[in-house]
Amino acid sequence: MFKLTRLVTLADPARLMPLADDLRALARTHEAYRILVAPTLPGSHFGGDLLAHFAFDSAAQRDGFGATLAPVLAGNAVDGADYQGSPDGKQAPDLANGVYRVLLLSVDEGTHPESVVQFEAETRMMPHYIPAIRNWQLSRADAVVGERRWTHVWEQEYAGAEGLLGPYMLHPYHWARIDRWFDPECPERIVDARLCHSFCALEASIL
Amino acid sequence: MTRGERRSIHAIDEIVAKPGEGKALLEDYMARYAPGARERGMMLEQVLVSPPMWLDDQPNTLTFRWSIADTGGWWQMRFVGGNDPAVAAWWAEADARAISRRRFFAAEPADIGGLCDV
Repeated sequence: MFKLTRLVTLADPARLMPLADDLRALARTHEAYRILVAPTLPGSHFGGDLLAHFAFDSAAQRDGFGATLAPVLAGNAVDGADYQGSPDGKQAPDLANGVYRVLLLSVDEGTHPESVVQFEAETRMMPHYIPAIRNWQLSRADAVVGERRWTHVWEQEYAGAEGLLGPYMLHPYHWARIDRWFDPECPERIVDARLCHSFCALEASIL
Repeated sequence: MTRGERRSIHAIDEIVAKPGEGKALLEDYMARYAPGARERGMMLEQVLVSPPMWLDDQPNTLTFRWSIADTGGWWQMRFVGGNDPAVAAWWAEADARAISRRRFFAAEPADIGGLCDV
């Protein structure tokens, strides 16, 4: 699957719903097979006002859509990535009325490749220890827009926001294990402190 | 939070100082890092020096064990310290005076169940 995610901070908040409608319509004309366009939920951090996520069968379709999308979003602040999603984990393929969360992160340039691989492997183990993560994908970015040179897209789906704000944030595997890659006080830190943490309501699983 | 209250999380800094730097690095840690850490809710429980003498041609290992009340206190510590450029600058300076450093978090076995029950 070839995916594209954009976090849009609107110059004019009144444009949120009309823009969401425009993005859905545009994605359908480009034959996106998965479309999620929704307002972000409170608690998002640098996550934009509108979360827009699309999946395509080919890179050409995705890139064509991205080129068409850029002028539509012009004038707004946008963070996002184009990437290939791999089916890392799907514990709840029929998840409905849940929450989709995406984290855009930037690993420092020059980080030893072995450290990146270890960070990725440990991150992919989070659902093993935190079952509230129902479906998930960790992807490297092919192309990015926004405030940082985003290197990774960490996507999860939960049955509800409480799964993200509770078990995900509070489990020791997160704060006592994974977070050392993010914490400026830890020598293992490789991830830039500027993150995009965004989540929204989800009608049906898109991962 | 006062001494005697239950604090379930331990943060441990283990610093292997460059030869001859051990005593000065410990004093700087206590004077320049520890006060801010206390303001972030950390309580310094123990300081250890190994070997128990000041070496001038070999490294001393300094170990600082802090306690944190609970997971909420941990995130408070993390958000404040992680967004303070002075803290990052301190560690950059300390790392330049160290051979290696570790920070890790731990708990007593009896507390694992409660910490994982989220």
